[in-house]
Amino acid sequence: MLYEIKTLRKVYDGRAVLDLESLHLERGKITGLLGPNGAGKTTLLEILAFLLRPTSGSVWFEGEEADFASSRIKHLRRKVVLVQQKPILFTTAVYKNLAFPLKIRKMGKKSRWAVIQELLDLVGMGEFAHARAHALSGGETQRIAIARALACFPEVILLDEPTSNVDMEHQITIERIIRSVNVAKGISVIFTTHNMMQASRLADETLFLLEGKLAQSVHENIFTGIIETDSEGSRYCLLPNGLKLAVNSDKVGPVRVSIDPAALKIGGTGQASLPDHAFRGKLIQVADEHGRVRATVDVGIPLSVLIPKESFKGLRVTLGEEVRLTCPPGCIEVL
Amino acid sequence: MGFLTDSLLSACLLIGSRDPELFFIIYVSLKVSFLSTFIASLAGVPAGFFIAFNEFRSKRVLITLLNTLLALPTVVVGLFVYAFLSRKGIFGTFDLLYTQKAIIIGQVILVIPIVTTFTLSAISRIDDRYRKTALTLGANAFQAAGIVFREARFGIVASMILAFGRVIAEVGISMMLGGNVKGFTRTMTTAMALEYDKGEFVLAVALGIVLLAVSFAMNVVFNYFQGKTGE
Repeated sequence: MLYEIKTLRKVYDGRAVLDLESLHLERGKITGLLGPNGAGKTTLLEILAFLLRPTSGSVWFEGEEADFASSRIKHLRRKVVLVQQKPILFTTAVYKNLAFPLKIRKMGKKSRWAVIQELLDLVGMGEFAHARAHALSGGETQRIAIARALACFPEVILLDEPTSNVDMEHQITIERIIRSVNVAKGISVIFTTHNMMQASRLADETLFLLEGKLAQSVHENIFTGIIETDSEGSRYCLLPNGLKLAVNSDKVGPVRVSIDPAALKIGGTGQASLPDHAFRGKLIQVADEHGRVRATVDVGIPLSVLIPKESFKGLRVTLGEEVRLTCPPGCIEVL
Repeated sequence: MGFLTDSLLSACLLIGSRDPELFFIIYVSLKVSFLSTFIASLAGVPAGFFIAFNEFRSKRVLITLLNTLLALPTVVVGLFVYAFLSRKGIFGTFDLLYTQKAIIIGQVILVIPIVTTFTLSAISRIDDRYRKTALTLGANAFQAAGIVFREARFGIVASMILAFGRVIAEVGISMMLGGNVKGFTRTMTTAMALEYDKGEFVLAVALGIVLLAVSFAMNVVFNYFQGKTGE
């Protein structure tokens, strides 16, 4: 077992941003931590990187309990490395950034250069050794930050939303690097994302964090809304775009809701009037996902829908076309 | 106007003649100012780091106190140190009064708050991710502080230049603790004050020119250093 976490809590200003009863992460795998903003993903990664001391609870790494108060934490910290969401490169040349962890590990100058060149080639940035680090683009910075992290010869690499600030081309490259790091170098990878598709593409195992806690099922289509009661006494949830969805809940007022993508239905817009619980929207994205189709329908807000491949074929709709999206009562879960 | 141009001309001639008295005054001034800035930096820069990196109860109070001490009048420092160094003072037996060491002690007290406050401010502007990045890359606390120092180096060097500017231009401490002894503790500013009292403006103006030239040279060096290493 790589990590074992027991009753871990991190509290800021009286608010628990992380509250995990138990968590086990296995060695050699790519683990995806999925969750919306503010779910506690970054806090968890910083604790796993031994950079942040939890308020209570224990973290075990390879059978050794981490003592965050002791100077021995440095010995554990050297086995893992964190690449932050917006990584910082030191204000100097790219190769000097990569030389920093090697220098700390007292590697000789000649061997250092060979490692730097190998790692820059691995991330496809071989010709950037002498470039000024602060002159790089977001995607290039991310790749250099990964190369620099690998210069620590880590057992685990923790990546905080590695592709959130990069374009599609860099995203593909970074995903390739993550896979290659895991397969060729045997490094365990733990990454956070709020992109369900990326998690399913990359991760051997996906964990879902919601409001600091591990969630049993993967929640998707998470929005902040307000539950109100109409004149007939029925409850509905008002979403930010004005969409009203019927909801079965005792709660009223501001809430976080999740809309189950498998419960949503797509249909053609042949009829002039829409039945109850149906909305007009535009099909804006379609992707294959393990034998099913994940479609994104824009109804003022983008909603992710999961439907069987055969059903999608039968719809005969193409991207950009108007479709009917049905949200039956019960598809909303109040979180 | 004629008086000013005449004095300026004579001052330039005096500098050109390499007058030994003038050069010794400049030497004393530069020596005590460099030493006091150096000692204040040795104490002030780590103090700035300590305050920036540590959370403690009286942190805000300490920062407010340091900010207040930025406006410390030189005569107050002079008086305060005099009380310790005079014959009746607790350090009276060391016979430090009216020596260059006394001037240095006073000036160090004067500029430690400047170096500390401006170092603290320079470090606080550096994103905490630099420190965290250094730590996750395997650095110890000292090496991580080195990374932050490197990123904040211009601000920290600027705080030292500011401190140097304050000590080389001050007159209160040099006069009260140095005593303006000719050939021993006479500095540029105390000499200027004396020459002014005597109505001898030529040496005063010459020293004024040197004072400005030193300040200009310091800033040229700083800008060169910034341009060379500011990647």
